[in-house]
Amino acid sequence: MKAFEYANPTTEKDVVSALRIDGRIALPMAGGMDLVARMKDYVTSPDRIVNVKNALDKTIVATPDGGLKIGAGVNIVDLVENAQVAKLYPAVVSAAGEVGTPQIRNHGTVGGNVNQRPRCWYYRAEDFVCYKKGGNRCFSPAGENQYHAIFGNEGPSHIVHPSSLAVPFVAYGATFRIVGPNGERTVAASEYFTMPNMQNVKKENVLADDEILTHVMLPAPGNVKSGHYEVRYKESHDWPLAFSTVVLTMNGNTIRAARVVLGAVAPVPWRSTDAEQALVGKTLNEATAVAAAEAAVKAAKPLSRNGYKVQITKTAVKRAIMQIAGLKPVQLRA
Amino acid sequence: MAKAQEGRGAQPPAASGPTANAKKYAWPPKPAVLSTRVKRLDGPDKVTGKAKYSFDINRPGMIYGKVVRSPHPHARVTAIDLNAAKALPGVRAAIVWKEPGTPAAECKYQGDPVAAIAADTEELAEDAARLVKVTYDVMEHVANVEQAMENGAPAWAAGTANTRKGNAEENGNLDDGFKQAAHVVEQTYATHVITHVCMETHGCVCEWDGDKLTAWVTTQGVHGTKDGFAQGLKIPATNVRVITQYMGGGFGSKFGPDAQGLICARLAKEAGKPVKLFLDRKEEHLDSGNRPSAYAKIKAGVSADGKLTAFDAQSWGTGGAGANSNFPLPYIYNFPNRRRVHTDVFINAGQQRAMRAPGHPQGCFLTEILMDELADRVRMDPVEFRIKNLPEANLSQAWGEYFRMGAKAFGWEKRHATGDPRPGPIKNGFGVSAHRWGGGGRGGRAHCDIASDGSVVMKVGTQDLGTGTRTMVAMLTAETLGLPVSAVTPEIGDTNYPVCGASGGSTTAASISPAIRIAAGKARDAVFAKVAPELGASADDLVAENGRVFVKTNASKGMTWKDACRRLGAEPVSVDGEWEDGLSSTGTSGVQFTEVDVDIETGIVKVKRILTVQDCGLILSRLTAESQVYGGIVGSLNFALFEDRILDRVTGHMVNPNMESYLLAGLSDVPKIDIMLVDSPEQRGRGVIGIGEPPTVSTASAIANAVRNATGVTIRSLPLHPHRILAAIEEQKSGGTL
Amino acid sequence: MAKNKDPEKPEPINQSRRQFLKATGVAPLAASVAGAAIAEAQSGAGIVGPGEVPIELMVNGKRVALRVEPRVTLLNAIRNRADLTGNKRGCDRGVCGACTMIIDGKTAYACSTLAIETVGKQIRTVDGLADGAKLHPVQQAFCDRDALMCGFCTPGFVMATVALIEKHPKPTPEQVKKGLDGNICRCGTFVRIMEAAMTASGQLATRGVTRG
Repeated sequence: MKAFEYANPTTEKDVVSALRIDGRIALPMAGGMDLVARMKDYVTSPDRIVNVKNALDKTIVATPDGGLKIGAGVNIVDLVENAQVAKLYPAVVSAAGEVGTPQIRNHGTVGGNVNQRPRCWYYRAEDFVCYKKGGNRCFSPAGENQYHAIFGNEGPSHIVHPSSLAVPFVAYGATFRIVGPNGERTVAASEYFTMPNMQNVKKENVLADDEILTHVMLPAPGNVKSGHYEVRYKESHDWPLAFSTVVLTMNGNTIRAARVVLGAVAPVPWRSTDAEQALVGKTLNEATAVAAAEAAVKAAKPLSRNGYKVQITKTAVKRAIMQIAGLKPVQLRA
Repeated sequence: MAKAQEGRGAQPPAASGPTANAKKYAWPPKPAVLSTRVKRLDGPDKVTGKAKYSFDINRPGMIYGKVVRSPHPHARVTAIDLNAAKALPGVRAAIVWKEPGTPAAECKYQGDPVAAIAADTEELAEDAARLVKVTYDVMEHVANVEQAMENGAPAWAAGTANTRKGNAEENGNLDDGFKQAAHVVEQTYATHVITHVCMETHGCVCEWDGDKLTAWVTTQGVHGTKDGFAQGLKIPATNVRVITQYMGGGFGSKFGPDAQGLICARLAKEAGKPVKLFLDRKEEHLDSGNRPSAYAKIKAGVSADGKLTAFDAQSWGTGGAGANSNFPLPYIYNFPNRRRVHTDVFINAGQQRAMRAPGHPQGCFLTEILMDELADRVRMDPVEFRIKNLPEANLSQAWGEYFRMGAKAFGWEKRHATGDPRPGPIKNGFGVSAHRWGGGGRGGRAHCDIASDGSVVMKVGTQDLGTGTRTMVAMLTAETLGLPVSAVTPEIGDTNYPVCGASGGSTTAASISPAIRIAAGKARDAVFAKVAPELGASADDLVAENGRVFVKTNASKGMTWKDACRRLGAEPVSVDGEWEDGLSSTGTSGVQFTEVDVDIETGIVKVKRILTVQDCGLILSRLTAESQVYGGIVGSLNFALFEDRILDRVTGHMVNPNMESYLLAGLSDVPKIDIMLVDSPEQRGRGVIGIGEPPTVSTASAIANAVRNATGVTIRSLPLHPHRILAAIEEQKSGGTL
Repeated sequence: MAKNKDPEKPEPINQSRRQFLKATGVAPLAASVAGAAIAEAQSGAGIVGPGEVPIELMVNGKRVALRVEPRVTLLNAIRNRADLTGNKRGCDRGVCGACTMIIDGKTAYACSTLAIETVGKQIRTVDGLADGAKLHPVQQAFCDRDALMCGFCTPGFVMATVALIEKHPKPTPEQVKKGLDGNICRCGTFVRIMEAAMTASGQLATRGVTRG
């Protein structure tokens, strides 16, 4: 790693001021597992690291409207074990429980997970100077793209968004509280993550360099049922090939409203309006699940080596819906 | 660059039949210690962190080395400027490794070493390495075998062909063979490149004392590595001492100093300080060896009654930059009429090195999947089909018996025909495979010291890779002297101890155990000679058992071991033993059965259980032998499902030089494993053979066959990634080949 | 692969690589070994580094005083500067778990933790686990079950298992799998690691056939 200064502020305000260094780069560090790895690979070489663990809110509290306010400093293990989160937003707990490994869940944070950078192996290698690192191309289309996007492939970047939590956050309609030099603002999770274009390709979200994500606010869930299904190649420590969070508002056994969000298939958590349209007004059963899954992938545009992800995505959507229907979809275990 | 070899070790002249010593010190028919489960002696040091691996050696004044490597798969070094690196405070040495303007200046793979520096801290060493300015003339590269074999492909190395075709290996008459065939299968099979991924990366600590070099090296061969340093540095071998008390895995990749060892020694000389130089994980993937890939286009015939008649194969593969890729083919089964031609293909990637059972996992897979396809043609059960086509049975080729034992224990009779007929997305299947290995080994030497206080030290210039060698040395000595294992001090891992071969080819046990047995036997006899007169007997009448020395026919006439040793007085026993023929042999066989579940809606494979029947001659240390089998099987499971050295096809760079996207099984990925070690009097009578490699050969093949049984589709290449499973299912649905 | 003359094809990365190397060559090196600004790492947002900073770590109940740059990882600080070499470096990227330590009661990848950010925390490593010559039950179980071979991953697995059992005194096999999935063994000792975890938690009797 390139040598860096180290700051350890204890308030949001001090974090923001520590992040402002003109002409040089300062980055916030929470759990640090993603950042330290990137620094070791010279993907990023900041001049200053700002440890935000002692400044960020680490609590999960109920809000007056029946929702939850989750501090960005909450360790993922604490999210997994929180009874309120499990009761109100079970897909968040499902996703959080599958993140990484115990070591990662112990020290990784909600904010860190949401803001982590892509796993794309071109991005993560110093040898490849891609768009995200100020270069002039993306190496995946002509190269090894078996783990890249099958939606949103207009370019310039074909990464899949790496955050597990982002998908249920979008599905449950979360908003993020952000603090910067001009005070605070909130951004809907669905608007926080950005599809890449030539102007914004170096980032995956709207967070500015001198801003910090401080809270995830989840609205009262209402009378919904949710399902979450992940498909992984390896059961131990691995990134999902595709996953889905489905949140349904029911009217008896008829689906009144639906939110279907796909993970690991696009540069952002991918809201599938195709799948949602195939669900609304239908009876919740396996046939509906199958049809919605088909709809979810009909507009997929895979790259040269990741066509197999279309089938896997279809399965993830189908089984998430089957979960909600109480149909107990299969999950392979060694 | 290590060659793929089945047996390693020093080569004394071939012996014929058991020697006098081998008869005198024959293995006991009812051992007190051998073949039992004795806890690994170095377990406590390893679990407490006290065990010092080469990576842990911190010497006074030690600094850190770092290698500068070519980022390009193919390039010529035209200039190296060390000035900026040398100017960094804390840098103590800087050397050029590839001299510009020489033939050596052509870098032939990403990671090829070019220069090196040494600095006070690891962090500074990395800073300094990044300040070394290397100018490259980038050349065209080839990133995979397809590119290398294209017309007009660039040369992997200047003025060198990309392929090297071997001679045909032939037997019988192919035309006749195919005439006799009622069914013919014609397919292409393939296995991929994987790297060793030793948990402790390659490297060493080098320290000079005048012109004498001590090197703590993570190596599978202390003596061979010592010679390597001597030759590479052009110094007398007697000036070099190599120490490896503990090492974190080798799997065939650690047999010499390699470039980094010689670089480390040179840096230490220039800096006048000890230098620690270890590869990081990326360097380890790029430049410490790999298992070559293997492809074969095979046409094979079987008669109506299930006898193999013909086998015609063109095979190829890549061992990287200029290295070979051969493997046995066909594997095990009897094809009376056969021809096989192999072509080595060279690409700009790291060179292969022997990897646990070199060649066999490849030959096995390329044959075993074909066997199931042929069995289906004649509608025979895969086990019966295999038994029908085995070579003649003997103690080193016992597959017929093992198939039956294993099938019964596994519940093979419950297997359904190809393609699980039950509804639902999870398909279950069974698979089987067979393997062989040589093992054996010769040329070990040992030295036994017995002091007048009864203490026993057995010195052997061998090494323990985690195989349990240290424990085996103590057990062998204890057995021979009639002592508890705790009364023996094994000393290994140092070139100050008698010369032994490297630990490769599964030859350690067979090469050192005769030497130890004989050394301990002679030492015991020396003690007997001292006390025999006092006991009123001749030395031949004495035995050593349960910590006593006594007359065979009158147990009350004896004394404790300690009392017996006291008689040594000022003349401790100090004797040597050498490997002699008659206590070891060569040739093992084994079979494996697997059960898998395949989710046909995702392509995910889960192995549910694995069973193996394996022989290894006389089992010396049962506990550690079992661990070898577990470990070999898990290694092959990784080969089947997970690990994969992936090169970007455009740039030739490795895209996963880490342990995150180079996938390895974790606890949740490992199924139930049952081991049946064959411990018959006949196998015991064969003496010591070895077990390190055989268990890792055929698991992948059995898993692939189980996937075929489950899904009804044949996956003919590894790894069994979901994309292959789903593609094969898709192809079958649209009427493609079975 | 033919050298690219086709304007449709992207240019070789070699160009970018040369540019990158040039850029790296002239970038100011922020590391300075001597005389760096020293400030208490913990108070307010005081900026320290990039040069060496004095810190004090609590490791296995003992104070360890070090001078490290902020970029030095906890693992390297402990191994290289405090000579506590029980902890190993396998991947250096927070994947293999060979570096697993317990920090304030929870396992962490020490390779991906900065030494400086662990000031004030309780760090437990394998070096301090045994009570003199008496092995911790997890260590004893690993020996009894032969849940190790080369042993390089073992300290990490031992610490992960200790933390697992401290959190779940009688873990189910599912909990053991989940709890140890952050560690990799290349020698493939997983079957016996599971047995060791069950033995250490008193759920599997030591067979008694191991001697030594």
